[in-house]
Amino acid sequence: MIIDPISIALITLGGALIGLGVHFIPVGGAPAAMAQATGVGTGTVQLAAGAGLTGLISAGFMYNFLATSGSFTTSDFMLVLASGAVGAMIMITVTMFIGQLVYVYCVGVPPVSAKVDKDPITGDRQDIYVSKGTEGHGVPTVSFVSGTIGGLFGGMGGSLVYVQLMQIGNAPADPAVVALAGIFATGVFYVNAVLASYNIGGTIEGFHDPKFKRVPKAIISCLVASLLCAIIAVPIMGGVS
Amino acid sequence: MMDPIIMDLGIVALMGALATIAGAAEDLESDVGSQSNPNSQVQLAAQMDFPHRIFNKAISGEPPAYGLWCATGATVASVLLAQNMSVIFAIAIGSLAGAILLGLFAVTAHMGRTASQKRFKQPVYMDMVIGHVPSIIAHGFIAVFCIVSFSYIMDHILTHPFPLPLLAFLWGITAGAIGSSTGDVHYGAEREFQNQPFGCGLNAAYSGNIVRKAESGLRNGMDNVWACAKFGGPVTGLALGFTVFFDNWRSTVFSGMNAVIAGLIIVLILILANRLVEVQARKAYGPFKDEEGGAEA
Repeated sequence: MIIDPISIALITLGGALIGLGVHFIPVGGAPAAMAQATGVGTGTVQLAAGAGLTGLISAGFMYNFLATSGSFTTSDFMLVLASGAVGAMIMITVTMFIGQLVYVYCVGVPPVSAKVDKDPITGDRQDIYVSKGTEGHGVPTVSFVSGTIGGLFGGMGGSLVYVQLMQIGNAPADPAVVALAGIFATGVFYVNAVLASYNIGGTIEGFHDPKFKRVPKAIISCLVASLLCAIIAVPIMGGVS
Repeated sequence: MMDPIIMDLGIVALMGALATIAGAAEDLESDVGSQSNPNSQVQLAAQMDFPHRIFNKAISGEPPAYGLWCATGATVASVLLAQNMSVIFAIAIGSLAGAILLGLFAVTAHMGRTASQKRFKQPVYMDMVIGHVPSIIAHGFIAVFCIVSFSYIMDHILTHPFPLPLLAFLWGITAGAIGSSTGDVHYGAEREFQNQPFGCGLNAAYSGNIVRKAESGLRNGMDNVWACAKFGGPVTGLALGFTVFFDNWRSTVFSGMNAVIAGLIIVLILILANRLVEVQARKAYGPFKDEEGGAEA
């Protein structure tokens, strides 16, 4: 009995990419919903999953288009990953932008980071714009760009898991194989998003946040968890010869 | 003869419109019933000696909750469609099943949560259960119906490979994620704390001190949805509508690498638009402290 090691490695890599992506997404958890913390006012897992799964829908579309119309080449593989990444990036940027409109025009606060004195991208002064008793509010440019990068990694990781499972199933038009690969990809996404969110511990502003230094620990945990997921998923999808 | 791309664009526009309604209804449902992050303050209020008449149901985070309602609705609809029922009726009956499930969870979550606060002297108001739950079910029905509908269009007309229940499940999670990220900030940061000065985040020292008096009488979930329907709800709809429209527009008009490039251009435009809003906000509101960062300005 031989289990394809490349498939296992790629699914594990996909899981690690998801774990990495979650760390880039600026989430303020419940405090951000009261404009008490910088970032989007929801939980880490929730937003990352929302973005990554939108990417999965885009990747599913693209894979179906490419795989059913002929041979599926390496460049097609990359195109599906890119499509998933862009789908997730669109969802996360739209959400952050509309969230920003609520902070600015409804709550009446300027977007500001409480973790840095100057925005590393725009150079704008931050500390004096933080209102009393809060740890920042809204989505400043650095967090916005960080969130976009998070969408990129999250969407790409989710798509990688899905495409690899579909390649093992080797039946792009079979609804049962598509459904199994889709739900497995969703499961792997949730496993890694939850692991990463334990590492983050509630709130993170993006790559400029000191908590971002904890990423290596999350990558190792995600690699181990995704490896276990892959070992279960690959035989179920028929990847044993 | 009509160019097929015009037809496809019309379908994408219809999906965007359905998603807009779904997003707005989803956010407003979470305002009537108080779900997601702002509900932490409703939960906290009674513990801080502020008993209230706000409906308190945190069934779970909104994304998994909406994933469940939409997957339920789409599964029932799929079964009925397989029995050759008409599409509209099948989706309507499926959505009703999802909405009733939401109603059941709303009742048990509210009663369970409120009863557990007995020692803080928070009463269970039966008139609130009877008054709020139909509104929660109604908003939930609209949201689930629209999400299952555009998932059906995506599945059967745009021929997405995912089965309808999986597609509705994924879009339900996305709708919940957008609802709890955008519209809920209006409810949490503004409507719940209208007793605090406008134009600043909630000072952590005032956590739990939510507004308990309404324009007339005591405030409840209905008063909150009335206010949030003026901004939070519609912008949430806009966010879900944009997500569904942009993502499908790029893959309808362009193909292959061009669709990816078109998506990246949309992302770039949004980054720049966010920067413009940020600059305008900083200019309009000014800093909270003076340049030395010491005294209040």
